[in-house]
Amino acid sequence: MFKDIQDVVSKLNDQEYIASEEISTVVYLAQQLGKPVLAEGPAGVGKTELAKVWASASGRPLVRLQCYEGLDESKALYEWEYAKQMLYTQLLRDTLKDVLSGAKTLREASERLSKEDDVFFSEEFLLPRPLLTALTSDEPVVLLIDEIDRADVEFEAFLLEILSDFQVSIPELGTIKAKHQPMVLLTSNNTRELSEALKRRCLFLHVDYPNFEAEMNIVRMKVPDLSEDLAKQAISVVQELRKMNLRKMPSISETLDWARALVTLNAKEIDAETLNNTLNVLLKYEADVQNARRRMG
Amino acid sequence: MDARVIEFVRGLRAAGVRVSLAESREAMQAVQIMGIKNRDMFRETLRATMIKEVASYRVFDELFPLYFSADDPPLQNVYDDLDTDDQNMLRNALQAMSGQLDDLLDWLTSGEGPTKEELERMAEMAGKNYARDHRDAVYVTREMLREMGFDKLQEKMAQLVEKLLEMGMSESAIMKILGVMEANQEMLVENMARQVGRQIAQDRAERPDDLHDSDLMGKAFNSLSAPEKIELRQELGRMVNQLKTRAALRRKRGDRGKFDAKGTIRASQRTGGAPFELKYKRNRQKPSLVLLLDVSGSLRETVDFALRLIYELQGQVSKVRTFAFYRTLSEVTHIMTKIDPKNDDEIYQPVRRAVDGGPYQTDLGACLQTFHDKHLSAVSNRSTVIVVGDGCNSYNDPRGDLLQDLSRRAKKLIWFNTEDPYQIQDDSDMHVYEPHCDAIYPVRNLRQLSAAVDKILID
Repeated sequence: MFKDIQDVVSKLNDQEYIASEEISTVVYLAQQLGKPVLAEGPAGVGKTELAKVWASASGRPLVRLQCYEGLDESKALYEWEYAKQMLYTQLLRDTLKDVLSGAKTLREASERLSKEDDVFFSEEFLLPRPLLTALTSDEPVVLLIDEIDRADVEFEAFLLEILSDFQVSIPELGTIKAKHQPMVLLTSNNTRELSEALKRRCLFLHVDYPNFEAEMNIVRMKVPDLSEDLAKQAISVVQELRKMNLRKMPSISETLDWARALVTLNAKEIDAETLNNTLNVLLKYEADVQNARRRMG
Repeated sequence: MDARVIEFVRGLRAAGVRVSLAESREAMQAVQIMGIKNRDMFRETLRATMIKEVASYRVFDELFPLYFSADDPPLQNVYDDLDTDDQNMLRNALQAMSGQLDDLLDWLTSGEGPTKEELERMAEMAGKNYARDHRDAVYVTREMLREMGFDKLQEKMAQLVEKLLEMGMSESAIMKILGVMEANQEMLVENMARQVGRQIAQDRAERPDDLHDSDLMGKAFNSLSAPEKIELRQELGRMVNQLKTRAALRRKRGDRGKFDAKGTIRASQRTGGAPFELKYKRNRQKPSLVLLLDVSGSLRETVDFALRLIYELQGQVSKVRTFAFYRTLSEVTHIMTKIDPKNDDEIYQPVRRAVDGGPYQTDLGACLQTFHDKHLSAVSNRSTVIVVGDGCNSYNDPRGDLLQDLSRRAKKLIWFNTEDPYQIQDDSDMHVYEPHCDAIYPVRNLRQLSAAVDKILID
């Protein structure tokens, strides 16, 4: 548990995550109000990373649900472990025989069997997927629902019950309530608009590309071997690239990769040649690389 | 503070940001937890709880300082820093300069500024009551400044300097006076802009929500004024979301589909061939659309809204091919891919330009013939053909036979009729086309249009 906002900042900092005032306020509020957080922003600005460091800073395990098109309840919530059920019926064949012995009609046998079917549809045969794992965990967890914008709208509608009441209904078992309310972080790259109902249930956090100072701090923290001068030059280049009309902007993770590449190459300064040789670490499309080369000389 | 937060929420809503009751209650709870001592944190707290999309950040950032700024900083008194001789000289110089700038020079030197009531009166005279939202504060303030004589202030200050020099005031004292007056001038303008912005935002919040009360949704497209169009376009985004959610829920709750024998057998392999889990084939086919749009001038707004709506709903349909017709017919799908319905103001013109040339009147029959000759492959038994138009054909041959053929090939042929039922034109050929349509929906306003699109998404 975080004591106050300062505590959030310093604990996230211990995990090598520089939290802006906005991020730390939202994380603290989420903890105090028990609300999920919806973090939106371009790819690679540290939204998923936030969930990871949130978990380690608060000492909770992280449960991650990666969303994709076609994700449904059975893959996100639970499945019956058919193979195990099958195996048990085979192994318990003799016992089943005993139970059914003496039954005169098929109906009687079936009635006796149905009295026992709770055995096969009990928690023992339930295969929990991330959402159920998060709800039934014995210790409080951080639940990351990553890239919710990739999931279908139907799945989003299904999430509403979990996010507001922290419970789910399983027809054979009834309603399962969360033992400990998880801290939930949903991330979205904004590839599609999310429903208002979902947004209403969450605190909203927009994570954008960092400004010069913030990015400088991140690079200095994560790649301490890079000299301050070189870091300044590198970040100026990255910031300049983000102003261009590119298919994919360089994200923070790409800045860090580039910084590490510069250290490995033992670069002393970012001259035309170094830039030319390493630009493809920052940019992921050939058209972007060409465009940047033309614009930056 | 609670009252101020509620007022702020009303201001946000009036400016078009959707803040639900639950969200404003939550904002109050959050403020109680975070406190209000740190202004930045207070701002972040309100923003995280009330604002759920980046597009609304701008309105929030504009309104926040209007509602939650420290009291306006006071102006300085010039006389405080002057010795008695200089004070007298300044007083005499100001008295010697008579005219309408007296008040203004007096405010800037005495540091008292206009009273709240004076400001309110001036704002009203400058057209505050006609302002649409807080952003118009810039214009109202500019008009107020003009009324107060700010445009002639430089001239007057130069005269004042001249007079003070004549009276023998030292240059350093004059510089001091000018420095304070300029600082006061800047502060006065800022204070005024803030107060006017706050007043406008509050006035706007007092007015009921125009959009729903005036029933803009039900107003015919061709009678919308320019500001109403802008307002409706904003509403469109929200409507698109509603339509999407409804379509998704319908699919979710809909029939679970036909029994899937193959899938069931495949799933049974995991359980030694016993079919524990029955699989169903869900009929998830999204409609594929072929749009035929009448782009004659009278349908400008209808075409604009219909295209915006359908292209915003792209994810809900598998494919859209768009054809425009007027005098001739041509495909405009490639033009639509370059248009951003959310941000582009003009959709109609580029589409309209694609069908320039040809005779001077609508010839639907000839256009159907062109479609038949060149683009018939666009229509298959999976496509829903939608014709948007009023069926007016300028007394040309309607070629109902071609539409009949189209209807036979397509899964469905639907007509979005823009015709006014009370003013049917003489050259209308709707009666010829009607028997070949699976459905005809009136689309004279946004409510009808959205209902029509909603029905298509069901199929």
